[in-house]
Amino acid sequence: MTITRSLVSVVDDDESVRESLPDLLNEMGFAVQVFSSADEFLTSDFVRLTKILILDIAMPGMSGPELQEELKRRGRRIPIVFITAKKDDTVRPSLIARGAVECLFKPFSDTALLSALNAALRVA
Amino acid sequence: MTTQGATLSGGWTGFQGVNGDDPAANTANTDLINILDTVAVPIVVVRGDFVVACFNRAAADVLDLSPSDIGRAPREISVFAGLPRLEQQCSQVIISGVDSRIDFREADKWFVVRISPYTKGDRQVNGTVLTFTNVTPFRASLDHAIYERECTKAIINTVADPLVVLDADQRIQSGNRAFYKMFGVSRDETQGVPLNDLGNGAFELAPLREQLKEILADSHGFQSVEVPHVVTAKGQRTLILDAHPLSFPGHSERRVLVIFQDITARKQAEAAKDLRSEEELRRSEAFLAEGQRLSLTGSFCWKVATDDITWSEQLYRIFEFEPGTPVTIERINTRVHPEDLPTMNESIAWARAGGADFEYSLRLLMADDSVKYVNAIAHRSRDAGGQLEYMGAVQDETQRRMSEEALAKARSELTKVARITSLGVLTAAIAHEVNQPLSGIVTNASTCLRMLDVDPANLDGARETARRTIRDGNRASEVITRLRALFSKKEFTLEPLDLNEATREVIALSLSELQRNRVIVHSELADDLPPVRGDRVELQQVILNLLRNASDAMVGVEDRPRQLTIRTELDEEDRVSLTVHDVGVGLEPQTVEQLFAAFYTTKADGMGIGLSVSRSIIESHHGRLWAAPNDGPGATFSFSLPRSSEAVTS
Repeated sequence: MTITRSLVSVVDDDESVRESLPDLLNEMGFAVQVFSSADEFLTSDFVRLTKILILDIAMPGMSGPELQEELKRRGRRIPIVFITAKKDDTVRPSLIARGAVECLFKPFSDTALLSALNAALRVA
Repeated sequence: MTTQGATLSGGWTGFQGVNGDDPAANTANTDLINILDTVAVPIVVVRGDFVVACFNRAAADVLDLSPSDIGRAPREISVFAGLPRLEQQCSQVIISGVDSRIDFREADKWFVVRISPYTKGDRQVNGTVLTFTNVTPFRASLDHAIYERECTKAIINTVADPLVVLDADQRIQSGNRAFYKMFGVSRDETQGVPLNDLGNGAFELAPLREQLKEILADSHGFQSVEVPHVVTAKGQRTLILDAHPLSFPGHSERRVLVIFQDITARKQAEAAKDLRSEEELRRSEAFLAEGQRLSLTGSFCWKVATDDITWSEQLYRIFEFEPGTPVTIERINTRVHPEDLPTMNESIAWARAGGADFEYSLRLLMADDSVKYVNAIAHRSRDAGGQLEYMGAVQDETQRRMSEEALAKARSELTKVARITSLGVLTAAIAHEVNQPLSGIVTNASTCLRMLDVDPANLDGARETARRTIRDGNRASEVITRLRALFSKKEFTLEPLDLNEATREVIALSLSELQRNRVIVHSELADDLPPVRGDRVELQQVILNLLRNASDAMVGVEDRPRQLTIRTELDEEDRVSLTVHDVGVGLEPQTVEQLFAAFYTTKADGMGIGLSVSRSIIESHHGRLWAAPNDGPGATFSFSLPRSSEAVTS
């Protein structure tokens, strides 16, 4: 039996996130692809394969919310879990209102991440 | 016709045109005739019945008479045609026995004809003797003199200045045309009239009369006399009178030539000019007074020897003395603040001793206990008499000083506000910087636990994640260290510091924010940059402010990369400088200076205090902060600081 692992794509300009998150997600049973920018993600072949997008908000170039809009424009309805190092309470409600599954503030716990991913799978 | 003649006493007899019987008488007669013939003056004897009796040789030669003319009446002889009234004149002489003279012209010669009575032995006048004296040479020189006189008269009459000749009694002898015209009189009506009778009595000036008297007495010079209010044909005029003595060779009488010059127009012009310069003077005085009032500056002059002090109106106002009241050093001292009195006394003593230019500030204590700050500046000089004097100005600086204090206070408050504002921004930036490694730590630690929890445990993975945890922990620690550096100093302290290091810290702290704004930062920090002396936190605030401004200026830039270049270097003036170059909206050259004014902002959400505070910080470091538009898009902000002689101690 082939178990197809759901692909989680991580887009974050912070190297420590790109380094640490894949191992944790693997442990949680997800397949992972990391991208350092929104452009890199959009130009890759993984857009259509991605089940869940873990997306940093503040990035050089196109920001997380801008990528969210771009995907919407392209008709790609990928559930998004935003992560951000900037704790700003006003950001989360507005992102969720625009369709995000969750917005996690760094540093976040593995359980918080897991419940967000599960919620995303339910949407997907 | 026979005329009965008068009987004369004395004289000669026997002159006959023919010889008589008496031989002695005949001899005498002949002698007489011979003598008469030698006389070069023509002599003609006309009998009482008006016929020519005889004539001498000269008469024959000069008058061209011939023996046939004897016995003819003169009116029948052509040479006498020029003497038409000869017969009447001769009878006058015969009757009166008195000589008469008449002028007679024959061809180009002039004669004076003397008609004398002719007497016989009985002294009865029964004829006349005409003697013709040739006066042609005298007549010519007289004609010449007349001609000369007429010429002179014509010249004098063309002289525009009135001239008049006065006799010894200061009476008018004659004047030129201009003179008669000026007074509207004729020659005849003024002849012999005293000068004083002219001009409605204006010439009745003692000095003029005295001078004319002196000049008539001897020939010493005459001082021009100005005579106002002279009534002339042209109305009231002001004249200048000049005089020259006139003397004539061979005459003892002295006269004086008086020359009049009409200076009315000149006087009026001078008066107008005086009026104008008086007006100008008044106006410049008003300017000065207004200038002094506006600038709160009074001026003074202090003559040291006499202690005479002259004060301007404004100085009275500053000292609150009654204007115009006498000012003395003692009186000034009553206004000087007691604490400044020793300085004042010293300065006065020093100035009295000769001193030099001086300038000092002092406080005044007014009657209502208020304090004024004044600045006195004085220049030492010498008056016309060589006496020491000081001229100077006193400025009331109270208002300026108060506003400076208020400004300094406001600026320090603004600095505080700005520091809090920028610290808020910094805190957010720092939180971001710390949260990134913390996130890595938490994720790695979570992964590590999960790797150890499975069976069999993934030990290699666990080790790797543990290593990453340690590394991220160190990274977070570095951020904390930077944070501590920013917060550790509360007071403004000057210390030698490395501007490159301070700049790197600011870049590190604001990099993520800059990146979020898609700003590409190029750092060109000079190697071997000398240290500067400054307060690290304040200078970092300035750098942070410049970076944020540059970033904000490029928010709307979409058609080109948002490049920000931050550069440090040792400039040509041996000062350490930092420039921040952006490619944003740029500056209008005319508003560059306004940028540094408090509350001036081009940003929708800006307070407009960043640059004004930044400049005050840089200036408190004895540095300079300026801005300039770029040749291309954007602007460049720079500051420069003096290099520190001390090395950085860490």
